[in-house]
Amino acid sequence: MHRHEVIIIGGGVTGCAIAYNLAARGLRDVAVLERYYLASGATGRCGAGFRHQWGTKTNCLLAKHAIAKLETLAEELDYPGGIDLKQKGYLILAYTPRMVEQFKKNLALQQSLGIDARWLTPEEAKEIVPVLNTEGLLGATYCPKDGHANPFKVTDAYARAAKRLGVKIHTYTEVLDIKVEGSLKTVLTNRGTFQAPVVVNAAGGHAATIGRMVGVDLPIKPERHQILVTEPVEPLLDPMVISFYHHLYCQQTPHGSFVMGLGDPNEPKEYNERSSWQFLVQMAGKIVRLLPPLKNLRVVRQWAGVYDMSPDAQPILCEAPEVPGFFVAAGFSGHGFMIAPMTGQLMAELILGQPTSLPVDMFHLSRFSRGELLIEPSVV
Amino acid sequence: MRIEQHPILEFRRGKKVKFIFDGKEYEGYEGETIAAALHAAGIRVMRESPVLHRPRGLFCAIGNCSSCLMTVNGEPNVRICTEKLREGMVVNSQKGKGVLYEKRS
Repeated sequence: MHRHEVIIIGGGVTGCAIAYNLAARGLRDVAVLERYYLASGATGRCGAGFRHQWGTKTNCLLAKHAIAKLETLAEELDYPGGIDLKQKGYLILAYTPRMVEQFKKNLALQQSLGIDARWLTPEEAKEIVPVLNTEGLLGATYCPKDGHANPFKVTDAYARAAKRLGVKIHTYTEVLDIKVEGSLKTVLTNRGTFQAPVVVNAAGGHAATIGRMVGVDLPIKPERHQILVTEPVEPLLDPMVISFYHHLYCQQTPHGSFVMGLGDPNEPKEYNERSSWQFLVQMAGKIVRLLPPLKNLRVVRQWAGVYDMSPDAQPILCEAPEVPGFFVAAGFSGHGFMIAPMTGQLMAELILGQPTSLPVDMFHLSRFSRGELLIEPSVV
Repeated sequence: MRIEQHPILEFRRGKKVKFIFDGKEYEGYEGETIAAALHAAGIRVMRESPVLHRPRGLFCAIGNCSSCLMTVNGEPNVRICTEKLREGMVVNSQKGKGVLYEKRS
């Protein structure tokens, strides 16, 4: 039997960031339970980008503060190798008049929040991405401070910093059930029993399953997304290129390899981490049309991961009303990695009962029963 | 160095062809791998390692290990241990990770 103050379920970037932020604020008796290895779920399978360019105020603010933290994270967490930070922007392509209208609305919002994002003509976009095929392109938005960080290194940096402060991390420890007796929660795993008054659900695509164990109904569904990576070449693509029209994104990592992914609007909502040959064919076809010189790149491997989709593509960050001491940090809908530095801080503040450094009420689970969805328009 | 006689294998060589390696003309047999032709010409360093720039020789010789990546007819990262030699090929040893696209100014 292990007794702790806080048990965090999920050893992805979110769980590790919460653990570190709790320990850094003095709450060091924390255990992280991870069913496989750290970052083995959505964190380690994600597209590794971060952007300021969102369509809701809350996401813009979360991203802005999180990215400011990423910029100095290696120093803050004393991680000498760095986190492969690259800030060469995101280029978001507009192909329809409706997109142009929405993107210009987004830009006005972003600029009002002090984010340096701007509108580019197709010619200006081509100056930033010379390999871009601008056929049919009406314009693009661009924020030079968007970029790339290595999800494995960010998670590792948080985990190591947390361990130095006394946090216990248990990998290959799968949660089987949770019993609630009074304020105490007993977490049964394949590697023994853990008890704590506070349990945090940071289980990503498994968050709904964990919620059911304590009778908390979370409207979070796993949705498969697929990615491939190519061989490395010398730098030729500065920004991440996103097209909601093609449902794709593509970036060149600091290592030189290209990481690209495709969203399938018809993807069934089920837990599926298998990759498919159909993805390889579709991805290659679309990217070669958009960035033609990439046709000579060799694919090294492909994989799949799951988004933890919430009904409005926004996270759920709160204490569950029906089970005091059971906190939820899930439903990130494909952008959990990039906001994790702020998620970690906000959740630690919530758990410690401190005032939160950004408003979080709108991320409460109860918004769904009240019908107050915060729909994010800019998701691949 | 070439193995001329082998107790089991029989070598059916193509015709002699000329190719360019790092600006110099060499000869090899059509249809053998570029690596075989370079090896026969005494070339042992196939690549430098991308981070520490150490010399790398022929290693796996079956297209897996990335020790022999070169630029062939302008295409970077060609595995020359499996790429067949043809008349007039332009082969260049590669510094760094290979250039896929050069911005024309």
